[in-house]
Amino acid sequence: MSSILTLEALSLAQGNRLVLENIDGRFEAGSITALVGPNGAGKSTLVQGIMGMLRPIAGRVNCSVPKAHRAWLPQQLALDLSFPMSVEELVMTGCWPTHGSFRRYGPQEYRRGQAIMHRLGLQAFEHRPLGELSGGQRQRALLGRTLMQRARLLLLDEPFANVDAATVEVLIEVLRDMAADGVTILVVLHDHDQLRCLADRVLLLDRGHGTWTTPAALGELSRLGHPPHTPPPSGAAHSPTGNPA
Amino acid sequence: MIDWLYTPLVEFGFMRRALVAGLALSLVAPPLGVFLTLRGMSLVGDAMAHAVLPGVAVGFLLAGFSLPAMSAGGLVAGLLVAGLAGGVSRLSGHREDSAIASFYLISLAAGVMLISLRGSSVDLTHVLFGSILAVNSTALWLIVAVSSATLVVLAAIFRILVVECLDPLFLRGQGVRGGAVHALFLGLMVLNLTAGFQTLGTLMAVGLMMLPATAARFWSSRLEGLMGLAIAIGMLSSTGGLLLSYHAGLPSGPCIILLAGAIYLVSALFGRYDSLAARWRRRVQPLLPPDAHG
Repeated sequence: MSSILTLEALSLAQGNRLVLENIDGRFEAGSITALVGPNGAGKSTLVQGIMGMLRPIAGRVNCSVPKAHRAWLPQQLALDLSFPMSVEELVMTGCWPTHGSFRRYGPQEYRRGQAIMHRLGLQAFEHRPLGELSGGQRQRALLGRTLMQRARLLLLDEPFANVDAATVEVLIEVLRDMAADGVTILVVLHDHDQLRCLADRVLLLDRGHGTWTTPAALGELSRLGHPPHTPPPSGAAHSPTGNPA
Repeated sequence: MIDWLYTPLVEFGFMRRALVAGLALSLVAPPLGVFLTLRGMSLVGDAMAHAVLPGVAVGFLLAGFSLPAMSAGGLVAGLLVAGLAGGVSRLSGHREDSAIASFYLISLAAGVMLISLRGSSVDLTHVLFGSILAVNSTALWLIVAVSSATLVVLAAIFRILVVECLDPLFLRGQGVRGGAVHALFLGLMVLNLTAGFQTLGTLMAVGLMMLPATAARFWSSRLEGLMGLAIAIGMLSSTGGLLLSYHAGLPSGPCIILLAGAIYLVSALFGRYDSLAARWRRRVQPLLPPDAHG
C-alpha cells in the first residue's frame, strides 16, 4: 500500500502558543487512524494543519490527495441551520470539485445523490429543510456530501458527538466501507468502544507530542489506568464525548 | 380604477421611465437582500447606504445634479468604505460589521462636513429622498445597465454564495477564496444602492433591498421561493408606490418603501411560516390521542 499522507517533524501553533511539536506519521490508503488525547492536546489543530488551514511553523505535511478530494467534517458545525436548503441540496453541493460554480447537475449526479442518501438512511428526509434535522440526521447528510465529493482523504472531528446510537452504527459502517474502497480516514475520537469498532491505528497526542499505538494497546493502557503521559481521571480514552477539544 | 392604475403610467414619459427604473431595480435588489439576510448582514446594507451618501453629495457639489457624477461619487465612497472595512477586519481579526460601522460613520461625518462647507441643504433633499421627476433617459440607461450587470454577476456567483452562506469551511477546504466572493458581493450591493438613489434616495434605496427579502421569509422556506417572492414584492411595491406618489403628490421613495413595509407587516402577521398567525395556528392544533401511535 502507498502512503497518501506523511507528516515530517511537524510543529503547529495557534497564535503564539505552540500546540504540537515534532509529529511524525505515515497514513496509508484505506487506513483508519484515530486521533486520541485529552482536551487541548492538539487534535483539532493537527486536523487543521493537515487540511492546509494552518501553516506549519516547522516540518511539513505531504499529501498526495488534491484539495478537491480532501474532506473535513469539523467539530463545531459551521453549518448555518437556518439556511433554506434541503438535505438533497446539501448532499449535491459535494459535486463542487467536478461541477464548480457553473455546471449543471445532470441526472447521473442526482441518481448518485439518491443512492448515497439511501445508503445513509436519509431517503425519507431528502426534501426536509436542514433546520428541521436532528444532530444524527445532520451528521449523516454531511457524510453524504463527502461521499458525493468522492473524498480520498477524510478527516472527522468527533463525528459521533450529539449523535444517536443508530446513526453511530450507520456512520461506522459507511466509514469502514469507504476505507475498504481506499479512502484514508483520520478521526478524532473519545469513546473507547467506537474507537475499537472503527480504527486500525491510534495516534495518541499529549502535551504536544505524538505516540503511535494500536486500539488494543490503548485499551490495555487505559484499563490499567496509566495511558502514557495522560493524567487520570481526564485520561485519553475516558474523556467525556462531546466536550470541545 | 383601471384609469387610476393605467393612465399615469402610460401617458407620462417621466412615469414610464420611473416605472422601468423601479422594475429593473426590483429585479436585482431583493435577491441581494435575500443573501444579506441569510448571511446575517441585514444592517450592513443600511450602513453601506450611509457610506454611499457622502460620495453622492460630493458628486453633487462638484457637478451639480448630474446622475453619472453623483453615482460615481457614491460608488467610490461605498467601495472605499467596504474595502477599508474588509482590510481592517482581516488584519485585526475583528468582526467585519464593527469595522463597517466605524468606516461608514467616518464617511458620513466627512460628507456632512463637506456639504456644510459648500452648497445649500435644500437641493440635497433630492439626494436623500429621491425624485421620480428626475429620472431622465441617462439615469434610466444607468439603472438598467447596473441591473443587467448585477443579474449576470449574481447568476455567475450564485452557487458559490449559497455554498459559502451554508458552510464557509467547505469552500475554504476546496481552495476557493471566500474573501474575493464576499468583496464582489459587497461591490454589487454598493453598485445597486448608488443606482437606486435616483428614484428612492440614498437612504431609502436599501429598503427595496431588505424589506421584500425579510417579508418573503414569512412565506417560503426555500431559496428559489424566497428569491421569486422577494422580486415580486419589490416590483409590486415599486409600481404601487409610484402610483401612490403620483396621485397623492407624495415623494416617491418613501411611498415605495412604505408600501414594501406594509407588505412586510402583513407578512409578519399572516405569513405561512413563523408569523403571528402561523404560531397561533400551530398552538390550537390538537394532539393525537395516545393510542393513535400504535
